[in-house]
Amino acid sequence: MSVILSIPILAFISILQSAVVSRLPLNQGVADLMLVLLVAIALQKRVTTAWQWSVIGGLLIDFTSGLPFGIFTVSYLLATALAKVLRTRVWRFSFLMQLLVVLIGTLISQGLSYLVLFLQEGSLAFLTVLQVITMPTIILNFMLSLPIFVLTRDVLDQIAPQEQNA
Amino acid sequence: MNNRVPQSLRVIAISLAAIGILALALSGTFTTLSRWVTVPITAVQTWVSNQYQGVENFLSASQDIQEIRQQNTALEAENARMQAQIVELQQQLVEFEILSALLEFARANPEYQYIGASIIGQDPSPFLNYIIINRGSDDGLRRGMPVVTQNGLAGRVVQVTASAARVSLITDPITLINVRVEPSRSPAVLTGSVTGDITLEQIPQDADVNPGNLILTSGLGGNYPANIIVGQVTSVRSRENALFQSASVQPVTDFSDLSIVLVITNFEPVDFSPLIPDESSP
Repeated sequence: MSVILSIPILAFISILQSAVVSRLPLNQGVADLMLVLLVAIALQKRVTTAWQWSVIGGLLIDFTSGLPFGIFTVSYLLATALAKVLRTRVWRFSFLMQLLVVLIGTLISQGLSYLVLFLQEGSLAFLTVLQVITMPTIILNFMLSLPIFVLTRDVLDQIAPQEQNA
Repeated sequence: MNNRVPQSLRVIAISLAAIGILALALSGTFTTLSRWVTVPITAVQTWVSNQYQGVENFLSASQDIQEIRQQNTALEAENARMQAQIVELQQQLVEFEILSALLEFARANPEYQYIGASIIGQDPSPFLNYIIINRGSDDGLRRGMPVVTQNGLAGRVVQVTASAARVSLITDPITLINVRVEPSRSPAVLTGSVTGDITLEQIPQDADVNPGNLILTSGLGGNYPANIIVGQVTSVRSRENALFQSASVQPVTDFSDLSIVLVITNFEPVDFSPLIPDESSP
């Protein structure tokens, strides 16, 4: 998929994340729409530009977030790396892979955020964070995973022939 | 044969025959005969007429149904339009109510200048309780400006772009606000948390703090103006050997239903950094 195409799509996802998804919390956790989408893209074998998509998506979310710059970019790149490793070794159960990578990606993103804030403030209770933020976020990300995975695959089915011709 | 009968005789014969037939008809001789003829004709005519009526009714009814369907579609469209208008008006009413309350707050605190702003987003990270508003440096916003709602303090501007700004809410884990408890006027520090709850810390042990007491900004530290309502004490925790008491606070602002805020533009946060002695200097 074209990298140029990723900019408007991921900018729209970033707006959607900030304006809508972040306003629909489960306890204190909110879904990470960008992570779920980037993982779904990275798991598609025909996609050759997953790294670029991850960098652009991460930068966009870093730009809208108040967390120190780079946390989301690093998290998304690690999740993409995991997805790419898995997709070369496992050739079936794509959706289960999606869930696995989303789970690990969420833990990486949350772990990095926790670490940075803990170093800044030093007063974040680990178990409370796990209970009120991390677990609800994982549940919400899982809920988004199926529709995003199916949608991404279907859209790529439409785009892929053009890509092959190009 | 006919050519040999004179014309006048033929006329007379036809006339006589006609008179005869009329006489027979008037006398009722033809009644039975005519019944035999008219009954089947009438039956056939009735059947034909009924069929015609049926076809005519069907055609006219079809036209009516078509018309009714068109009217129904038009009414449904009108209904949908009205429903959308109702939703829009309800939304405008809610906005009007919020704006009225904000105006009331501004009137009650005339010492400040305000800029109204709509909330257009929230921070993507669940660790931070930040909101994004649709006003920025082009509108005169600067870092450190306090943000209030019609009920009381909401937070502080922490980052500004040309057309938007990020506001740290008082529930954010990084929040530290110097407050005082009314009516005892005891000083305390208000802190946020990842759970969204806010607590009062560093309340002196001898301070008389009870559930229901009001929390107002004290103005100490220079980050927030004084006397803005923050919340209400819900419970107090005091241990015998501890240096300070602590308390749970219910914020006056409902952060889950925040849509419009006011930014206080004529408050200058005090920068204390020049007064802090540099450890490296002799």
